[in-house]
Amino acid sequence: MAEDLNWAIGGEAGDGIDSTGKIFAQALSRAGRHVFTSKDFASRIRGGYTAYKIRTSVEQVQSVVDRLDILVALTQRTIDENLDELHEGSAIIYDGERSWDAEIPDEMTAVDVPLKSLAEEAGGAIMRNIVALGAACKITGFDVEYLDEALEKRFGGKGSKIVENNKEAARAGQEYVEENYDLSHLGYNVETTDNDYVLLNGNEAIGMGALAAGCRFYAGYPITPATSIMEYLTGRIEDYGGHVVQAEDELSAINMALGGARAGARAMTATSGAGIDLMTETFGLVATSETPLVIADVQRSGPSTGMPTKQEQGDLNMALYGGHGEVPRFVVAPTSITECFWKTVEAFNLAEKYQTPVFLVSDLAMSVTEQTFPPEAFDMSEVEIDRGKLVDEDEVDEWLDAQGHFRAHAVTEDGVSPRAIPGTTDAAHMSTGLEHDELGRRTEEEDERVQQVDKRNRKVETARENEDWDYREFGDPDADNLVISWGSNEGALVEALEYLEEDGIDVHVISVPYIFPRPDLTEEIEAADETIVVECNANGQFADVIEHDVLTRVKRINKYTGVRFKADELADDITEKLTEEVPA
Amino acid sequence: MSSDVRFTDFKSDKQPTWCPGCGDFGTMNGMMKALANTGNDPDNTFVVAGIGCSGKIGTYMHSYALHGVHGRALPVGTGVKMARPDVEVMVAGGDGDGYSIGAGHFVHAVRRNVDMTYVVMDNRIYGLTKGQASPTSRSDFETSTTPEGPKQPPVNPLALALASGASFIAQSFSSDAMRHAEIVEKAIEHDGFGFVNVFSPCVTFNDVDTYDYFRDSLVDLQEDEDHDPHDYEAAKEVILDSEKEYQGVMYQDENSVPYHEKHGVTEDMSEIPDGAPEDAMDLVREFY
Repeated sequence: MAEDLNWAIGGEAGDGIDSTGKIFAQALSRAGRHVFTSKDFASRIRGGYTAYKIRTSVEQVQSVVDRLDILVALTQRTIDENLDELHEGSAIIYDGERSWDAEIPDEMTAVDVPLKSLAEEAGGAIMRNIVALGAACKITGFDVEYLDEALEKRFGGKGSKIVENNKEAARAGQEYVEENYDLSHLGYNVETTDNDYVLLNGNEAIGMGALAAGCRFYAGYPITPATSIMEYLTGRIEDYGGHVVQAEDELSAINMALGGARAGARAMTATSGAGIDLMTETFGLVATSETPLVIADVQRSGPSTGMPTKQEQGDLNMALYGGHGEVPRFVVAPTSITECFWKTVEAFNLAEKYQTPVFLVSDLAMSVTEQTFPPEAFDMSEVEIDRGKLVDEDEVDEWLDAQGHFRAHAVTEDGVSPRAIPGTTDAAHMSTGLEHDELGRRTEEEDERVQQVDKRNRKVETARENEDWDYREFGDPDADNLVISWGSNEGALVEALEYLEEDGIDVHVISVPYIFPRPDLTEEIEAADETIVVECNANGQFADVIEHDVLTRVKRINKYTGVRFKADELADDITEKLTEEVPA
Repeated sequence: MSSDVRFTDFKSDKQPTWCPGCGDFGTMNGMMKALANTGNDPDNTFVVAGIGCSGKIGTYMHSYALHGVHGRALPVGTGVKMARPDVEVMVAGGDGDGYSIGAGHFVHAVRRNVDMTYVVMDNRIYGLTKGQASPTSRSDFETSTTPEGPKQPPVNPLALALASGASFIAQSFSSDAMRHAEIVEKAIEHDGFGFVNVFSPCVTFNDVDTYDYFRDSLVDLQEDEDHDPHDYEAAKEVILDSEKEYQGVMYQDENSVPYHEKHGVTEDMSEIPDGAPEDAMDLVREFY
């Protein structure tokens, strides 16, 4: 396992924790180091504990661990909240001039830096967090010039004076530590490399994937943690002739997106929590009108308002079964930030090829985590666009009935009908949420009803045969112990493998990005002695689905504290679970 | 091609199942005439229909159309127009669809001022579910679910539109065929959200707001030469008049700029490249 450094800044919401953390993450990325960030926050703009945590290494990091080496604490609560993760080698940077008396356990190194005063000398108290970053640079042996680059990126738009003041603030922190502390015994020395990395989170990857895939219309309603997809697209989608609309609610958002899609645009909406409940109303219409639509659900803790800024994978059943009646659909759950990009591209292709709703199920952990990747991980030349059976005017004729009506819901062998968009001559037609005939007109004829239901379901079967529904595999494929996961747990699980290996436990990890259709895991589960399904919910929704598929019992690891899995914690959980009796 | 288009081209070969004498026949005929008269043809027209008797209109007309979820017709129309500013969008629904379950969307569609036409077939009753009070039913109108009347005053949709910042507010009567078609035509031609509330009597379940009632009581603003639809105060007066009901264009903002022009949403969004956009690696480099 590579040498990693775990750093955090914490304070009150409104203290600029997030932007300070992002600046440090950016600096580490500029220095050719890999970064994996996580956030603890409350859904209040001001007030309440919040922290930005960074795990960094020269090798790829894809999980958080239960260890904190350097902590910038703006409040006592920041220290108290993280006591479990702090250790005797930890350094805590705090401002002793502030009104609170920091209670720092004796075995840790307290680094008292007058953050506010030094910031004021550099040009303003607002820069106190930057002073702390300078101090952190000194403690970790990290060249402050990388921080300069990040400060230029962050404040460049605000003028050179602001940039210079911030650089000065960083140096003030660095020099203060240099003059007042000898911390060489802590042994932190942050290596750098010449590698270029990009630093982005899952929602940005979804937004970028949408643009790459040709999404030109997005309608949404702000909701944590999905909003940043909308924020990413706003200001960028216009460069490609697209538009973002903030709707009055999610009922409207999904219907606007549906309208955009019927007009021929690649369209999407994204939401979370109660937003997906409201959108459920329209799931059936998307399916029966055979409209290609991508619906992203960035899951958060529920039910009801739940813990809106906390992690959970509780919407799997909603994505699979939401909506009255039987709604054919695809459910895709990206397992990493790069996969957020690629699965979004794929979602748009699936939607148009099969004229079916595609649920792109991500989660809060992935949406707020910033992670480094080589830019080639998002190689745009690899993006393929498949618009399916979108017909042009020359092809309309072959889809007209004897009276010259366009058969928009023609019953075909593969279930997929031709799709004509407004402006296509002689292809005007209606689509509806009512059961309909091939022309899209209401019917309650038994034969027609059965034909249409079957053809819509047949699209899913066609897709099942023609598309790849592979899983991702890690660890030892021949191991007796099989651990299955879906969505964002992959990174923690992959890193947990290293801990397990150290303890001599071989594990085969299957990370499943396709929830419906999904890979058949019967052989893999039958070949394993033990199967554990890992997910961030209380009831084991994916485990239920797997048990149903394979007709056998599996063990479960469920976390529903609102916090994502950590690699070391997950390794312990797996070790413990392996010794448990299989449930009856 | 459009010059050859006749209003019957907008008619499908499905026979309406509306009750004989239903106001919706006239409402639909006027819409088709207005579409043809404004140079549209079925292949460039998108009709969005709500749920209710009025929602059946998508089946009886011929054009690109979507018959969607109850109350959400306006958002669908908004999406169509955003993606394809070149397409003529007409949204049709009933008073329940527009002023009850979809009232929230109505307010926001009005203030968004997307260039489309919204025709509400207002019969002041829920007909498809066999006669319950609608948001425009009179407060003493007795129905199966409101035996003593709805016990609440009806919504004034015109006032709701006005308060939401409408740029075009009109009202018509389905049986006054010429005037109705003319008013819808003006709504189509309006640069922005053209809203027409159409009195479309239900002959089966509403014995109060009947053809006779509207014929006898409706005041035509065209005959009132003093009414200037560009005069906001005058519009307010007729819209808030509790004594009389009017037909005609109550209000039209001469300076209305439709959403797509105001916000530069002018591209045909259905056209996309075969792969990622040429400069797409710039999106990645932003994250350096």
